[in-house]
Amino acid sequence: MFDFAELAAWFADSTNWDGRYGLWFLLAEHLVLSLGAILLAAVVALPLGTLIGHTGKGEFAVIGLGSVSRAVPTMGLLFALVLLFGVEQRDLSLILALTAIAIPPLLAGTFSGISTIPWSIRDSATAQGMTGLQRIRHVELPLATPSIVGGFRIAFIHVVSTVVLAPLVGLGGLGFGIVQGLTVRNYAQVLASSLVIIATTVIGDQLLGWVQRRTGSRLVEHQTTEKS
Amino acid sequence: MDWLVANWAFVAQLTLTHLGIVIIPLIVGSVIAIAGARVVPTRWVPSTTAALGAVYAIPSLALFVTLPALIGTDFIGPTNVVIALSIYVVASMFFSARDAFNQVPTSTTTTATALGMSRLQLFLHVELPMAVPGLITGLRVVAASTVSMASIGAVVGVRNLGYLFVDGFQRRIPEEIITGIGAVFVIALVFDVGLWLVGRVLTPWRIRGDARV
Repeated sequence: MFDFAELAAWFADSTNWDGRYGLWFLLAEHLVLSLGAILLAAVVALPLGTLIGHTGKGEFAVIGLGSVSRAVPTMGLLFALVLLFGVEQRDLSLILALTAIAIPPLLAGTFSGISTIPWSIRDSATAQGMTGLQRIRHVELPLATPSIVGGFRIAFIHVVSTVVLAPLVGLGGLGFGIVQGLTVRNYAQVLASSLVIIATTVIGDQLLGWVQRRTGSRLVEHQTTEKS
Repeated sequence: MDWLVANWAFVAQLTLTHLGIVIIPLIVGSVIAIAGARVVPTRWVPSTTAALGAVYAIPSLALFVTLPALIGTDFIGPTNVVIALSIYVVASMFFSARDAFNQVPTSTTTTATALGMSRLQLFLHVELPMAVPGLITGLRVVAASTVSMASIGAVVGVRNLGYLFVDGFQRRIPEEIITGIGAVFVIALVFDVGLWLVGRVLTPWRIRGDARV
């Protein structure tokens, strides 16, 4: 059985927290890489998903992309891109792989958030004299927000899990402790790193879940006050 | 293609290992999830859902190497991978299974109870068959992600298709990695089509219904 005193000692040692390969730096690196890629993906996926949901054209492509992307092994994608662009450009390859992984869930979340809005609501917006852009801005995007946040939530899970694999191509992030620890059989380091990774993802996911519920309940509140 | 032709026996062997490492979690995980969806009392459902949602967010490599400390297995080897994948299947299938069972019309279950079916009979002969379409949809989603996730097991020393990624990267053979991605894709596709077929076979009344319309 694993010795938990060893784990506690590893966490207590300040040299494991400071420096280039200390937990703080790796955590910051992990988050910057993940959030950067998600933002980059959002720049592509949000307008595209809005357009597809608004016009109803290209649904098939979104659903197809969603099912195909689930079967793509992220590790293979990352390694193939690094070999393709060369090891010197591996940062670029990692960002590209992460962005590619984040796009399908964001696209699906945005698209389905808009396309599931009842046509009666969308038609009444047009009947009020709204232009297409006004309908997107004031009706479709607000109503689709919980679903869009849901897309961010799935993208976050996938991207953060893939950054864990970054040390395999010689980059940093919290996976460093796992990969190095497995090689040198320092299992306290392996376990400590994976516990920090688990805490980071679970907290991030819960935070996004909270935002999702809040945006959802705000809509419900509006509905009930309007009715009464 | 040359690489695949020269190494097809090796790829076939890795594919077989990969299949084994995927099939066990899919079966074990869905059985636990389906039973759980029926057994967990309604008032515990929100907390179970929250816990499983949190588990689902854990990166696979982190879960692979955390299990040894929790259950005392070896850090390297397929055991952790199979257990971790089963946990993901449970987390994902629990939601699908609850949805699938909730879609069974109350009128149908009430009728079955009125006909004198026991709780077990109701489950086996009415609820389970009626939930098949929803369960199959959930299984198709989780099968695809399990097939691709299993390849990460190569990092902790499992010789499945993920080995092609690790080895191909270390030896700078892009064809090897591409072959691995292709093989994972083919397995995912086979699972998808296979599950769809199983769904059709298990629900013959739906096919007859389509024909009538």
